[in-house]
Order: sequence, then C-alpha cells, then structure tokens
Amino acid sequence: MTSSKSGARMHPAALSALFLALALLVALPIAFVALQAIFPDINLGSFAHPFSSFSRSLNHDTTLPLLFNTLRFGTLVALASVLIGVPLGALRGLFRVPLARVWDLLFLAPFLIPPYLAALGWMLLLQPHGYLEQLVGVNLGHFLFSFQGVVAAMTLNVFPIVYFSVSRALAAVGLRLTDVARIFGAGPWRSVMRITLPLVLPAIAASALLTFTMAIEEFGIPAALGPRAGVALLATSIEQRFSDWPIDLSGAAVLSLLLALLALTAFFLQHWLLAKRNFETHAGKPVATTPRELGAWRWPVLVLFFIIATTATLAPLFAIAVTAFTRTLSGGINGTNLTLNHFRTLWADGEGIGALSTSLSLATGTALITGALGLLSAWVIVKTRSRGRSLLDALTLMPHALPGVVVGVGLILTWNQSFWPLTPYNTWGILLLAYSCLLLPYPVRYASAALRQISDNLEAAARVHGASASQVMRRIIVPLTAPALISSMLIVFAIASRELVNSLLLAPSGVQTVSIYIWQQFEQGSIGDGMAMGIVTVLSSGSLLAISAHWTRRFNHPM
Amino acid sequence: MKRFSILLFLTMSLSFGLAAPQANALTVYTAGPGSLGKKLALGFEKKTGIKVDLFQATTGKVMARLEAEADNPHADVLISASWDTARDLDKRGWLLNYESPNAVHVPAAFKAPSYVAQGLSALCIVWNARSGLPEPHDWRDLAAPAYRNQVTMPDPALSGATLDLLLGLQTRLGKQADALFDNLHRNGMVVLGPNAQALNPVLQGAKAAVFGAVDYVAYGALTSGESIKVIFPSSGTVVAPRPMMILKTSHVQNEARAFIDYVLSPQGQKIVADAWLMPARDDIASDRPLLKDMKLLPQEGTTATVMHADVLKRFSALFGQH
Repeated sequence: MTSSKSGARMHPAALSALFLALALLVALPIAFVALQAIFPDINLGSFAHPFSSFSRSLNHDTTLPLLFNTLRFGTLVALASVLIGVPLGALRGLFRVPLARVWDLLFLAPFLIPPYLAALGWMLLLQPHGYLEQLVGVNLGHFLFSFQGVVAAMTLNVFPIVYFSVSRALAAVGLRLTDVARIFGAGPWRSVMRITLPLVLPAIAASALLTFTMAIEEFGIPAALGPRAGVALLATSIEQRFSDWPIDLSGAAVLSLLLALLALTAFFLQHWLLAKRNFETHAGKPVATTPRELGAWRWPVLVLFFIIATTATLAPLFAIAVTAFTRTLSGGINGTNLTLNHFRTLWADGEGIGALSTSLSLATGTALITGALGLLSAWVIVKTRSRGRSLLDALTLMPHALPGVVVGVGLILTWNQSFWPLTPYNTWGILLLAYSCLLLPYPVRYASAALRQISDNLEAAARVHGASASQVMRRIIVPLTAPALISSMLIVFAIASRELVNSLLLAPSGVQTVSIYIWQQFEQGSIGDGMAMGIVTVLSSGSLLAISAHWTRRFNHPM
Repeated sequence: MKRFSILLFLTMSLSFGLAAPQANALTVYTAGPGSLGKKLALGFEKKTGIKVDLFQATTGKVMARLEAEADNPHADVLISASWDTARDLDKRGWLLNYESPNAVHVPAAFKAPSYVAQGLSALCIVWNARSGLPEPHDWRDLAAPAYRNQVTMPDPALSGATLDLLLGLQTRLGKQADALFDNLHRNGMVVLGPNAQALNPVLQGAKAAVFGAVDYVAYGALTSGESIKVIFPSSGTVVAPRPMMILKTSHVQNEARAFIDYVLSPQGQKIVADAWLMPARDDIASDRPLLKDMKLLPQEGTTATVMHADVLKRFSALFGQH
C-alpha cells in the first residue's frame, strides 16, 4: 500500500452498488444453500427442526460411498493428468518440438468441445459395435463403462491444464540453472531431480489440484457415462435429488455444502501453493532461454504427441462428426448411410436455430456483465484504498471454487421463494445470473493482472492535468487493460455458450440452450440431431474465438 | 469506443432469441417426445394466436419442477407420461375439473373429471434384428442366458410409461414380478435414463434389446431406417395413457381449456398420431397397431401411491440407482 494509491477512491454510492451486485450474484445463492441445509422447512417459511437434515443425509447409507467415490475420482483424474501432462509439458517447454503450435492448438480443444459432448463421442466410438469396432474390429466398451473409463474420459478433458502450466513454467526457467549444476559436476539425472523439478513442482501441484477440483465438480461426463458404468458421484447425485421426482431439497442442499467444502479446500490449497512459488530465477536482465534441439529423439517425441492429440481431441470429434452425418446408428459407417438430414432438422422447425441464438445471446450478455463487473472490482481491489477490498477480493474469486451444480441449486433456492416482489426465476435472466456468477473470476483475475502492471503515476499525471476520474477510467485504464479483459471475456463466452448443468436446472419454460438441446436429443430424441448441433456449436464458437483472438492481437500491436 | 458499439450491435442482433414473455402466454410442462410438444404448441399458436411457453423434459424432471415450484407455481397445463401422476395430483387437489367437448370421442377408461389422455403408448421389447440373438417373445426371454449383459431398460424414476409398466407387472404377477426383475438384474440388465438413452446402445448394437421401451420412440427409429423390431410380449403388456391436466393455480384458465380442446381436436390428434402415439380419440386413423390389436396385462385402477413409491424404491435398490 503505497502512498500513491491515496489519490483513487471510489465514490461511496458506486462502491455500495458494486457490493450489492456481487452480493446478489455470489453471496445470496450460497447463503440460501446453507439455509436450506440447516432449516429443511425454510421454503415453507419455517425455521423448524434445524440441522435435522444433516444427520438424516449424512447417516444415509449412500452418502459415504458417494463422498468416497468423488474423492477417489478427483484423485485419480489428478494423478492421471500429471502422468500425461508433465512429460508432454516438459518436452514442449524445454525442447524444440516439431509442430509445437499445432499440438498447443489441439490441446486447447477441450475449451471448444464441451465435456458432455466428448463423453457422448467416446460412447459412440468405443462401445461394442461402436465406430472403433466397425473400423478395426475391437471395442473398449468394458473399459469405458467402468470407473476407470469415466476417469479416463475426464482426464483427457483436463490434462491440458497441467500440460500448459508445466510447459510455461519450464519455458520461463529454461535449462540454464540445470546447466550450472552440470558444470559443477552433477549428473544429468541428478541435476534434473534437484534443480529443474523443484522449480516447477509448485506449478505441477497447483495444476493437479485444479484438475482435481474440475473433476469433482464435473457433471456432464459422469452423467453421460455414469449410469452404464454404475458410477454415481456427488455432482450427479445432487442434480438427481433436485430434479428427479420425488425431490429431496434438503438432501441436495447438504450434499451441495459437502461438495462445495471439498472444492474450497482444494482451491485454497492450490492458492497457497502458488503463493509460495516465487523462486528467484532471474537476477536482473532477462536471459533468452532457447529451447534445445531434440536430435534423434525428434521422431519418437513426434509420435508421442500425435498419439495423445489424436486420442484426446481427434477421436471424440471424429465420432461426433460421423454420427452427425449418418442416417441411422444401426447402419454404421458406410457410404450409403451418409446424410445431411440431421443438419436440415436443426433449421427446419426453428428449434435448433432458436437454441443456438439463445446460447450465443446469453454468452454475449454474460461476457459483457462479467467484463464490466470484473474490471470495476479489479480496479477497486488493485488501485484504490476503499474499505472492504479484501471482502471484494474474496467474493469475486469464490465462484472459482464453487461447483456449477451448487450455484444452480442455490439460485433456485434463492429466487423460487414467494416473498420476492420481483424474481428472475423462470425467465432467461436466471441463466444470465448463473453464468455470470460462475464465470466472474476470469475477468477479475485477468484485469487485476493487467492493472498491476500500470504504474500509478499514469493516473496521477492525468489527474494533475485536470482529467476527471471517469476520464481517467475511459482514456487510461480501459485502453490499457482492454487486451487482457477481452481475452478473459472470450473465455467467458466460450464456457457460457456450452454450460450444461445450470442450463438443465434453471432454463425456464420456452427457453432452450444448445446444451439442453444436445442433452435432450441424447435422452429422448435423435442422437444424430444432437451431434449435428454439437458440430455447429464447436464450429461457430471456434471461429468466433479465432476471429476475436486475431482482433485482440491486432489490438495489442496497433501497427 | 468502436469495439463497444460492435459488441452492442452483436448483443442486439443476437438477442432476438430472448424476446420478452407475452402477457397471456400459456405455460405448458410436458414429458417427451420433444418434437410432439413443439408441434402442438406451434399448431395451437397458429390457430389461436396465444403464445405457448414450453418446458419439455422427462416425466420425472417435469414432476420434480412442479414440486419444487409448489409455493410459486408457473405451469398452466401439465402433460405427463404416467397416468399415476395425474391420479396423485388429483388426490392432492391441484387440478381443475374440465370436460372438453372434444373428449366425447375419448374412451371412458382414458378420462377423468380433471384429466384426459393426450395419446397412448404401449410398452414393448425393442430388439436389434442384426444382433444374431434369438428373437424374444416375452418379457422373461430377456432373462435367459442368451441375453446375458445384452439388455437395457429405461429408468422408471424418469420415464413415466416405464413406471406404469413396472406397476402393471407388479399388480398382475406379484411375487413373480420380483423374481423376474431379480433374474434380469442377475442377467446383467442395465437401467439407463429415459427412453432414447436406453435405445441408443441397442441401435448401434452395443446391446441387443430394450426391456419395456415406449413403442412410439421405437416406431420413430424404425421409420428413420434403423434395423430394429418392435415386439409386444406374448404374456401381455401395459398401455400408458399420457394424461393432460389444468392446474388450479393457472391465471389463464380459458387459454388452458382452449389448449386441451386443440390437442383433442382432429387436427391435434393427427399431430399425436404422427408422433407414433395411439390417438386418445377412437375416431382417428393411425398406421400403427392400436389398442384392440394388443394383449394387455390387467390394469387396476386402485394402484395406491404408497405402493407406487414402494415399488420404485425396491427397484432402485435392486438396480443401484440414486
């Protein structure tokens, strides 16, 4: 807290409005989950029998296995992600891997392929008589429909987090210090184990914890594969208690608290690890870290990257595309079975195109709301000395640790009460609230990072020359943070346009999103139509992201 | 500023998908199939100019939403796939009595003072004709060793029609039904979500047969060229009428009545028949086997709710659901 900060202070009314918005968005739903868990009859306006549902739910003979299963699931996914992500990331970070850009792009694909869509793709590919058996005569159905199979599907979706984190950390550190150790007589193995590995260990551990959190929060993959594998996890069980008749609101709320607690623990552990991470690896001048040549290892490495990228990204995409273009599932892969009918159906009755436009509109709205709120919050947190900054910090980061299903449950419990004079429940507004709550941390984090790099002197100089606070905001803060802010808004857009569990829980009558459309085709309709929609979404959000990324780059270098 | 105006334009051009709700719009909660609900809503809108907001899901999810909103109800008309749910809501006093003039053509078994059938489905065995396994003729054939790990079944907690089958088998066979499901379980039958989710593995050939699929989903797949066969078991099956009802809490009861009239009109019933359901009216033609062509298990009108919950609980304990 330097003295230069004293210049900026947010107007009290504006600050209160910001707090109010965040309280509505983040704090209220969580509070109502807790209230419902503690007071089972709260929806009838009664505070009777406090804590009775805790003992009932926690003593229920399914709760412990659920908790154990969820922990085992998260741990296995994290371990498997490390096993795949660390070697690949190390190769990418330290050596000149051929076609490196291509691999990066392919490993980014999980951002584009929603997990539930990938899971359906795996199912069509690997089950007995699936596409793999039709093409090469073997099926992996036994493996896919087992606990390990669900873990594998989840791992292939999240391991890129470890890959990117490790490759970036190593690219920054380089082999310089390892070389120093070699000069002083350490063997190659010893120098890697004693120097390189410890330097990136925090990055590995933090990204592994992130994959753990994502795994225990995931709904789509266990919901698609779980029933056939006999696997039930907390996230799917909460949704089931909440939305399958007969419903169990309090049970769902207690399990939600349990899941949120697990996720929060992992989240804080991850933050603590990252905070400890500051090793002094640079002593002043930046040193160019040039990646090594692979030499004869070029080809084996290339094959390794090819195998992983094919399995993780191309295989499920292939199954999705084949299903979208074939007339009948029982007809299998052959030329006479090809059709464009599924795509025609999307357009024919207006249902598919309606779902697409709803999803794109909601995603755009979410990106704008979180962008605005995120920039304001980040500015208050980083650049002002307003009171309650740490509370603001906590409120804006909290949703990162909140499972989507818990946010959905909280929003219903909050807004489906009869005492509100005005409620977004049963309008598309509730979806906007849900997406905004879940995705707010991205713009906050990106904008804070950008703001920390802007010297306070710039603001001070502008103020000295007579600029008003809003002019400073408009002419200095916004332009300088725009690239970071826009890329975070793109991430928000990509995730919001495909979100599944909140859409299923909260969508009002008459509103259908892309994810609901795909899911319903899988459950009650034609899986071909669903996969056609999957292709359209992946292509449309992919090209939108590509265009915007290009535009952001130009924005960065105005030449 | 330019980028903001671009974003603003983008939002505005995209937001036609989010039009504001109309004042006298009718909210209809309906169990699948999705295209049927959509077509009925569109036809009704075209005829009357009244907008329909549709919430379409499985019977289980529709009922769950209704229950969650009990203090703050939104639905005007409810269409479920299980006759039992209508009886239950009627007992709780949630339903408005209404006899549509078009209901005179609906047989007495499929209407009550506060609810009436939209259409009927029958429960069947769907068999993949390329599976290489012997064609099944009765429910118990699927518990035979030839069908080990080859059978799926829709989840009765989600599919209303499957629930009616479960109840029907239970009333007719009693202890024998328990034994049947025990054998099916031991034979590796898996219980999978609603109907299409149970059917998909059979279409691709991962499994050979569905136990207790609703026939209209199977006929739909058959028409699109899938190589499957719809088999009505020799010992008899269950017909699941899909009840339509108006909720007492509705603010647009006239519009709700008009909707029921529309669905029971020849035009509405034609749409129902096109979705491969049996029309509720007995004077509408259809290309599929009708009630008189089927052998039925006796359906008692006295299946109590207690028993219903009981049966579901035993079933989910056996097949490890929830």
